[in-house]
Amino acid sequence: MLIEIFGTGCAKCKALEKNAHQAVAETGMDHPIQKVSDYASIASRGILTTPALALDGQVKIQGRVASSDEIQSLLKG
Amino acid sequence: MVMDPRPSDPKQGQPAQTLAYGFWRQGGWLLLILPSWLLVYRFLEPFANVLTTRLFGLDLKTRLGSAAAFFLFDAPKVVMLLALVVLGVTFMQTFITPEHTREVLAKRAGAWGNLLASLFGIFTPFCSCSAIPLFIGFVRAGVPLGVTFSYLIAAPMVNEVALFMLLGMFGWKIAAIYAGTGVAIAFLAGWIIGLLKMERHLEPWVMETTFKAQPATEQRMRFSERLDAGLQGVRDIVGKVWPYLLVGIGVGAFIHGFVPAEFMARFMGKATWWSVPLAVLIGVPLYSNAAGVIPIVQALLGKGAALGTTLAFMMAVIGLSLPETIILRKVLKPRLIAVFIGVVALGIVLVGYLFNFIM
Repeated sequence: MLIEIFGTGCAKCKALEKNAHQAVAETGMDHPIQKVSDYASIASRGILTTPALALDGQVKIQGRVASSDEIQSLLKG
Repeated sequence: MVMDPRPSDPKQGQPAQTLAYGFWRQGGWLLLILPSWLLVYRFLEPFANVLTTRLFGLDLKTRLGSAAAFFLFDAPKVVMLLALVVLGVTFMQTFITPEHTREVLAKRAGAWGNLLASLFGIFTPFCSCSAIPLFIGFVRAGVPLGVTFSYLIAAPMVNEVALFMLLGMFGWKIAAIYAGTGVAIAFLAGWIIGLLKMERHLEPWVMETTFKAQPATEQRMRFSERLDAGLQGVRDIVGKVWPYLLVGIGVGAFIHGFVPAEFMARFMGKATWWSVPLAVLIGVPLYSNAAGVIPIVQALLGKGAALGTTLAFMMAVIGLSLPETIILRKVLKPRLIAVFIGVVALGIVLVGYLFNFIM
């Protein structure tokens, strides 16, 4: 699954990215992680609050930092 | 069937034990924490005084002793209040999402939209980094520019954390004044900006990029999940805010201990007509987290500063921030930014004069 992290560099965005990397490492599978940090792209996806996370194009988490456990269960489910 | 005597096995253990544990984990612990919180809170001031006099050997009547006692009392007090307030507010925020707000506002034109936007802004969290996606998302989804501005002004200015802290420290009247005037300023400023029809002053790319709105989904969360969100909020916010808090309390302690009342009356009092614009002028470029400015407000009011001037100072500090303005430069042309800052600053000054006059 393609994981996209939307954020512009504040502490919360970095935390979400870190948790995503951790979740992927723990599943042991190959999920590419892309960081989207320019405002135009973030806004074009209709995201209102950063940080946000999308899986295969679908926005799953908005406006908060999800734990790596939560990201893992999203990857599996 | 053989009964397994091991009580730790969840399948064979007593049902009552796991029920109680479940209740505790799901939120029952609140019943224990909240009364304890109240108890500790009540004893903070006497404890701080004892600490200052016994441990540090200072006389409370001296300037240093007074400042030290203020600091030792205020630091844990503000942190405790902040934690409680953030827990409650974040919990409540799990019920309203920005997507819902956007959907409601997109259908409302005119002054009614400005009012709603200002009210919604009170209860939504505001991270400066979200300012732009939020702004664009609203405008592209059809929320009128003026209405979007009302939201953008109200969200940081009427900070829900500051609101509840004021409530806890100064009572509901001051909290209501803060909320009411913040909403009024956001309403008026957004309405005026809407009337000025400044849509041309948006950076072109805002309207030109492709856009797909995220639907507002029903947030089905369990009580314990909302509570967890609240706790996470406490960790995030207290973790982010505590440096500002310490600086704020330090400044507050200094004012409390070292600034004479006559000085306060002269510069922050009602007598001089220029104290309000001066307070706003100083406050606008300063940036503090809402929680960090409250101890300063407390010290100022305690020293006899006029309510209007103090309120104006507080709103100028938290309502307009240099980082936010720099970020907004990406979507707003300079003329619109100037109008934005100008109208809000003017509104704050007017509020300051108004309350110096009536209180």
